[in-house]
Amino acid sequence: MARKDFLDIASLSREEVDLLLDQATPFKELFTRSVKKVPALKGKSVLMLFYEPSTRTLSSFEVAAKRLSADVIDLDVPHSSVTKGETVKDTVDTLQAMRADYIVVRHKMAGLPRAIARQTKASVINAGDGAHAHPTQALLDAFTLKEAFPDLSGRKILIAGDILHSRVARSTSRLFLKLGVEVGFLGPGSLVPRTGPEGITRFTDFDEALRWGPDAVYLLRVQMERQEVQYFPSVHEYHRVYGVTQERFERIRGEGIYIMHPGPVNRGVELCHEVMDYERSLINQQVENGIAARMAVLYWLKPQTDSEEVNRE
Amino acid sequence: MSFLIKGGEIAGEEGAPVRGDVLVEDGVIKAVGQNLEAPEGVREVDADGKIVAPAMFDAHVHFREPGQEHKEDIAHGTEAAINGGVTGVVMMPNTSPVIDSGAAVGTVLDKARQVSRIPVYTSGCITKGRIGEELAGIDGMRNLGVVMLTDDGDPVANPAVLKNAMEYATSFGMFFASHCEVPELSGPRALNEGKVSYQLGIKGSPACSEEICMDRDIRLAYATGAHVHIQHVSSAIGMKTVRWWKERGAKVTAEVAPHHLIFNEEDIGEYDTYYKMNPPLRTLEDNAALLEGLKEGVFDLIATDHAPHGEFEKGQDFVSAPNGITGLETALVSLHDRFIAAGEFGWDLIVKRYSAEPRRLMGLDPVAVEEGKPAELIVFDPTGETTFSRDFMRSKSVNTPFLDQTLKGRVDLVVRGREVLLER
Repeated sequence: MARKDFLDIASLSREEVDLLLDQATPFKELFTRSVKKVPALKGKSVLMLFYEPSTRTLSSFEVAAKRLSADVIDLDVPHSSVTKGETVKDTVDTLQAMRADYIVVRHKMAGLPRAIARQTKASVINAGDGAHAHPTQALLDAFTLKEAFPDLSGRKILIAGDILHSRVARSTSRLFLKLGVEVGFLGPGSLVPRTGPEGITRFTDFDEALRWGPDAVYLLRVQMERQEVQYFPSVHEYHRVYGVTQERFERIRGEGIYIMHPGPVNRGVELCHEVMDYERSLINQQVENGIAARMAVLYWLKPQTDSEEVNRE
Repeated sequence: MSFLIKGGEIAGEEGAPVRGDVLVEDGVIKAVGQNLEAPEGVREVDADGKIVAPAMFDAHVHFREPGQEHKEDIAHGTEAAINGGVTGVVMMPNTSPVIDSGAAVGTVLDKARQVSRIPVYTSGCITKGRIGEELAGIDGMRNLGVVMLTDDGDPVANPAVLKNAMEYATSFGMFFASHCEVPELSGPRALNEGKVSYQLGIKGSPACSEEICMDRDIRLAYATGAHVHIQHVSSAIGMKTVRWWKERGAKVTAEVAPHHLIFNEEDIGEYDTYYKMNPPLRTLEDNAALLEGLKEGVFDLIATDHAPHGEFEKGQDFVSAPNGITGLETALVSLHDRFIAAGEFGWDLIVKRYSAEPRRLMGLDPVAVEEGKPAELIVFDPTGETTFSRDFMRSKSVNTPFLDQTLKGRVDLVVRGREVLLER
């Protein structure tokens, strides 16, 4: 059964995840044709509500919606602290006037998309809320790794970097666990939660983590701008201890380990620039698959806006 | 007004309730005993199967007056107290403006005299403006009866300021109440650091933030000879910290709030702001340790930290929403529902910790259901039920996790002196 909203990974069943991953495949095949559009969402409108600056996720959703023939409205909302203290009701009141069928929302406040979803009949898609969740990223990550390993069960993925502040780490690790993938976290003690989710192996030493035998290393972007205190001494030290240095890259290449990254990358921080040309880097595939995964989500959801029209008239 | 309460179980500070009749005449308990006869014209109240107990006293409430009357005011706050079987309260001074001088104390106490049917006490700030720098007007507040000094809502961040205040105000017969946290550690987020803060993606406030400050404040009291009262202890190590210092002879008392006994971080679910307060809800293990501390007497009193907020304020996202929940109307029934009915403890604990000890802390005589004492009592029906609907609530705010829930137990009658304050 289709859902109204796509808010986090926790509330999805394994069956729903498999369905979405299966649905993304035909959408991706579409991209190689001369006409990349299907009429699935013709006449529907998708509202982009990004309270945080974003280029990659925003344009990925826009392309996804347009390839489904939806109308896209990009609402220009303030990115600053002006939105702090706004009630969910204020936001929803603004949205009702737009009459959107789908609302794609990104906000720095964790939990805001769910609060909006409760109060609107439109389908709400969480495009990232604070450090809480980024479920479409998780979906595209799983889709991408599945292209390398059609059977993900028993595979190992090492997620490295600022786990504590990362919504990507939260959603992606949760989805991989759901799919039977073993997950490891690697990062400085100040950025890996002591009391995280169960079933995840915690590493503070990169070389030890590589001995664990990961099939893929997923590097998180170092978010200098989100840090309230200094979590590590310098970018240089971070790279040396927790980054894919040239030396580690040789080892990774030698063992055929895949590299993933949600983008945009900080060269010289999470990874040395040689990684970008690595034949087993999945970073560019992640971007392309993001469109297919988001199309699958939009296509799957069932807004209740039609019934709203009836009720009002 | 005179009446005879027939056949109730009379609760006191020690032991199980004892069946008996209570004759109240002209605001005084004239007789307590078996098979009392109602004198001519005196009404009988059937209390068969019900508890007759001293009325409660809450040493930690926020009535928001002056300055935030959309959340609560003294008139509504005191009616909320009565609705929950409470006949005396101590207001916190973090109003707007704050209560940090004799003039400010006079204003709220005058107002209370006009609008309240129960005695209202106020605490006063330790520091002027509640900003942790200069001493507030200690003597002016003392002269109007203030005995409790607190910057509640925040700690006094600078230990030198607190030490100096303790040295100064102790000779005025005043004591200190501490809201414990290290602001640099806890930040603005009232959410326990742990499993749930990770899941929700909100940086948490660790229990050690509260524990470090608690230890610091008791050490300062110990060094200066002051009496410090630790407010709303929320963690197991916090409980043990108080116990450790009591064993060493520090003048320390402590309170625990019903919500920290009953709820934990898991209850927050999907960002439910009605479970957001400071200090935050911690873990199941902390719940158990706090209950143990209450039974053992580490906690001298139960206090609600009644903290009303408007629905539009609590309707914000979890980080932006203000800290605090209401408690006056739900405390007694929820403690009955979760602990007394479950056999965890008896009415003697409630009477001691939510009626007698808080009054003693404030230098007042405890009230008791005994011959010759002024009548200040409640009749509680343990088989009745209370639904905490909006209609039920007398507070201006409804920000309680118990909203629209039905719990076991009901306050049927509240008497103070000659007045029946509530009869259901």
